[in-house]
Amino acid sequence: MTDPSPLLDVRGLSIRVAGTAEPLVDNVSFTLNAGETLCIVGESGCGKSLTALALMGLLEGTPLRVERGSAMFQGIDLLSAAPDVLRGLRGDRAAMIFQEPMTSLNPALRIGEQIAEAVRAHRDIPRDAARARAAEMLQRVRIPAAGKRLDEYPHQLSGGMRQRVMIAMALANDPALLIADEPTTALDVTIQAQILDLMRNLGAETGTAQIMITHDLGVVAEMADKVAVMYAGRIVEAGTTAQVFDDPQHPYTLGLMSSMPSLAGDQGRLVTIPGSVPSPDDMPRGCRFAARCPFATAQCEAPPPLAPRGTGHAVACWHAPLEDFAVGQRREVPA
Amino acid sequence: MLAFLGRRILIAIPTVFLISVFVFTLQHLLPGDPILVMAGEERDPEIIAALREKYRMNDPITVQYLAWAGNALQGDLGISLRTQQPVLELIAEKLPVTIQLAVMALIIAILIGIPAGVLSAYKKGTWIDWLANIIALSGLSVPNFWLGIMLILLVSVRLGWLPASGYLPLSEDPLQSIRVMVMPAFVLGTALAATLMRHTRSAMLSVLKSDYVRTARAKGLREGVVLVKHALRNALVPVVTVITLLFGELLAGAVLTEQIFTIPGFGKLVVDAVFNRDYAVVQGIVLCTGIAFIAMNILADAAYRVLNPRMSDQ
Ligand SMILES: Nc1ncnc2c1ncn2[C@@H]1O[C@H](COP(=O)(O)OP(=O)(O)OP(=O)(O)O)[C@@H](O)[C@H]1O
Ligand code: SF4
Ligand SMILES: [Mg+2]
Repeated sequence: MTDPSPLLDVRGLSIRVAGTAEPLVDNVSFTLNAGETLCIVGESGCGKSLTALALMGLLEGTPLRVERGSAMFQGIDLLSAAPDVLRGLRGDRAAMIFQEPMTSLNPALRIGEQIAEAVRAHRDIPRDAARARAAEMLQRVRIPAAGKRLDEYPHQLSGGMRQRVMIAMALANDPALLIADEPTTALDVTIQAQILDLMRNLGAETGTAQIMITHDLGVVAEMADKVAVMYAGRIVEAGTTAQVFDDPQHPYTLGLMSSMPSLAGDQGRLVTIPGSVPSPDDMPRGCRFAARCPFATAQCEAPPPLAPRGTGHAVACWHAPLEDFAVGQRREVPA
Repeated sequence: MLAFLGRRILIAIPTVFLISVFVFTLQHLLPGDPILVMAGEERDPEIIAALREKYRMNDPITVQYLAWAGNALQGDLGISLRTQQPVLELIAEKLPVTIQLAVMALIIAILIGIPAGVLSAYKKGTWIDWLANIIALSGLSVPNFWLGIMLILLVSVRLGWLPASGYLPLSEDPLQSIRVMVMPAFVLGTALAATLMRHTRSAMLSVLKSDYVRTARAKGLREGVVLVKHALRNALVPVVTVITLLFGELLAGAVLTEQIFTIPGFGKLVVDAVFNRDYAVVQGIVLCTGIAFIAMNILADAAYRVLNPRMSDQ
């Protein structure tokens, strides 16, 4: 079997606020091959952004610390590399875009300059060449009249246009990896679809591997080759998109599936999982989903390992694949 | 930008008018009679009557105002009751001294206050931050006159590095002129530096948390570029406003500082004029100061627009 080493190999990543009992991100592992798109999906607060920021070396200045783990990317461990090495990587071989296009661009600088400086930070090229590259990138993210937009300020652009600018900026140096943290959450539905389209096309054109963070299974279905489902700081299920959608084995994944808006066109969540995410100061020691899980038993007081269930599919649940449970055996979950 | 400046200047005209009316009226409501001061010890009624006639003190106050304002528009602010010099000439002679002092103080304040604010925000919670805050607090609590006297004692008397007082016009010998003014400017600048530092620090702290600073880091920019080009540039917007508000403090401080270092500037002119009830001079000074305030505000708004492109197309 020819299995070249993956582009990104994250193992056992744990993130904690110094001095707290339980880590906010606990033992997260996944791999990503060149050109692949991985979606990390989960409810608000489950640690998706922290995972992404840790990989980019952007946790500095917060009380959060990477406690354990490694993340090999092109021969460099992103979690232990020196700040200067990470700075050299950021925006060059690994880029990131954020959830809030309205506030993620500098209001005082022209967008052409904001893209050009990303190029000049990593390439020794003259100003006008960087500017030309910025114009080219604006064109590639399908911004109309790209040449004229170079000298505009962010406030002159709509949210969707700004997110395109962010994408242009992130891809300006042809990165091997793009991390997109909920890139469409803040946008209108129609604009969301356009941006996702754009990202998929650009991903296919450039071969850039993508980690797409979202809490929207619709986005996952549209974008992902692979999925990692996170709950309260842990990956509870991972696999190819087909595996996770066609054969979900973790109760939380099942819950997410049934809370997906139906194709009949209803907006918003039809069914939500009863209960709420445990707070970071009150993490259960065993399975973190237990309080909301209809299948929980005494065994679940020990933390379930993320165990393989067929090639590429892994689930962290003592009772997966849940086939032994008849409907009558499920317990009532207090709401 | 030109249209903006034109509009602001037009709007300023009624303000200047109000200032002039206010100044003129208030002056005449104050107790004390300058004619008596001028007439000297004897208070000869004939001399007093002649002086009243000469300075049109017998006309109704509105007539006096109109005459004064009409002349002022032509650049004639009257004659000093005391020195018999034209007021405008007096002001034109003293104002550059004070402007030089104020500008040098402001430059010193900016050179100290803004980098210190940036550094202490960047190093928040470390000993650098603590040290900067302690120095700023001392800068605010040490009175100017005390600092001035101490500096004179140390730098001039003990070390003999700089003269303790005096003034040399910039046009005569620029370097020497700046040298003579450095110590007073430093005294005046330190308190302002402390205020600027604290405002810069808090503006930087909020800007450093912003999404676009995170974007700048995500691009792999060097920390220096992140700090200055991305963070400071935005943090300066509120700081510029603070600088405008400090202008009054700066002028008041300049008057005091000129006394400590016996600098023959605007401050001395003000003090002399007030004590001698030299109406014409006081009126001229307050009017000029008022206009200078308005001009500063317009300048600050212009700077604000340059720093903040969102304002430009409104
Ligand atoms: N600077 C911080 N200090 C302390 N706790 C933090 C900090 N940033 C995030 N957290 C906590 O870490 C947890 C995970 O946050 P994270 O931002 O990764 O969630 P997320 O999955 O991205 O959620 P969302 O969908 O809302 O973006 C949350 O409980 C949050 O309260
Ligand atoms: S381990 Fe137990 S509590 Fe956790 S998801 Fe599985 S069945 Fe539910
Ligand atoms: Mg997030």
